[in-house]
Amino acid sequence: MNVEISDLTRRFGRTQAVDRVSLETGAGVFGLLGPNGAGKTSLLRMMATVLPPTSGKLRLLGRDPGHYAPRREIRRRLGYLPQNLGYYPGFTVTDFVEYFALLKEVPPGQVPRAVAAAVEQVGLGDKAKARLRTLSGGMLRRVGIAQAIVNGPELLLLDEPTAGLDPEQRMAFRALLRDLGQRATVLVSTHLVEDVGAACGQVALMDNGKIVFHGTPDELTARGEGTGAAGDAPLERGYSAVLAAARSETAARA
Amino acid sequence: MNTTNTGATGPADVDLNRVWIGVAAQVWHRQPGPLERTAARLLRSPALARALLTAPSLLLGWVIASVVVLAAGAVATVSTGTPFVALLAPAVAAAGIAYAYGPGIDPAWELSQSMAVSDRMVLLVRALAVFALNAVIGLAASAASGAAAAVTFGWLVPMTAVCALALAAATLTRSANVGVAAGLAGWAITVLGSRVAGGSLTTAVASASLILPYLLAAVVCIAIAWYATRIPRGTS
Repeated sequence: MNVEISDLTRRFGRTQAVDRVSLETGAGVFGLLGPNGAGKTSLLRMMATVLPPTSGKLRLLGRDPGHYAPRREIRRRLGYLPQNLGYYPGFTVTDFVEYFALLKEVPPGQVPRAVAAAVEQVGLGDKAKARLRTLSGGMLRRVGIAQAIVNGPELLLLDEPTAGLDPEQRMAFRALLRDLGQRATVLVSTHLVEDVGAACGQVALMDNGKIVFHGTPDELTARGEGTGAAGDAPLERGYSAVLAAARSETAARA
Repeated sequence: MNTTNTGATGPADVDLNRVWIGVAAQVWHRQPGPLERTAARLLRSPALARALLTAPSLLLGWVIASVVVLAAGAVATVSTGTPFVALLAPAVAAAGIAYAYGPGIDPAWELSQSMAVSDRMVLLVRALAVFALNAVIGLAASAASGAAAAVTFGWLVPMTAVCALALAAATLTRSANVGVAAGLAGWAITVLGSRVAGGSLTTAVASASLILPYLLAAVVCIAIAWYATRIPRGTS
């Protein structure tokens, strides 16, 4: 298993952002769904070794990120796209991707080729020497994806990767995800259920810091049968039905 | 995004995609400049060398501003006899240190936190480089203002303490502005306090009795900065 999480909790003051989450996953594309504030980003940041958990167990790629040496090894094999990607306006696309390839300790001799492959994979070959300040939001998102995949990660964490992409780019991105998922664990946090339906083999739905559903997109769809309006997508109906059930259960307990 | 041409082959079983990636790698790769190459050799890390050149307070505009401030200090020193260079150098360096690295200062800070090259190492290298650069500029300004030769080296120790204070405050609060404010306030209090005690503005940089307190303050502040930049254990 590339990701092993047990009773993972993260608090910010009195707010419980992630509440005793347990999860295991191997290679494949794993979708993390949930409304705003559900705890998806906090969970992903803990897996990216950026945010330490308050309590619980976390093992990534068979290693414990709580210690320096294993954490460094995890980070060499990790790809991470944060929700808000900061960038250096004066850098070119290749400068930016190269910088993060170096920070991930890709051997210097392999860096130019790895950068070129990553930039081509996200379809930015014609913008390789363009300054980041001249790119659109969707292009910057693709630059972010390129830096995430430049080291051929075994664990890829993508927070809202399709934000700002047009429909054609989103379809191409889902194809890229499926391709990457054949050899790596790819966790995609999103609130766009169609991305999950098209690319993910497994999905978890979070609400109020807890995982309230874990299964396949088909199983999530099945939960929504007989609910929602005629125009709603089947997966969206499942999403809403699971959330409604979880919330009524919480209310009944309170 | 390009997912359709992966593994495309030509008539003679040439993997055209692979060939193109090889060509693109050659064409797109930027050769590092002499400064970056030297830094990479010294630090034995091309990643740290690149991180050094992206430090906000090592960018050309910032360096020019530091030179201008200390040059003005040198002129004021020559014309008034008061060692303004010695008084300004710690403040200028403290601002540079606080603005070397951190959230809101480094655009890709969040991403940098997940990298194999630790952000603590990036901070250390940048802070040392900013300190060294400011020390060189300060020494040049002191040399240019011959009237303050007696205190030329006197400000290096207080500069270390003020820089360490700015670094500790910036890392602890994760705010460069708080770091600058703490450094400037600390230095202003020291200068004014020693003037009251010693009767002269130069006491803060010329009094040998202050060297030990400065060094102690520097050590404590560096320890605080080291603590503030740790990643707590407890992830397992």
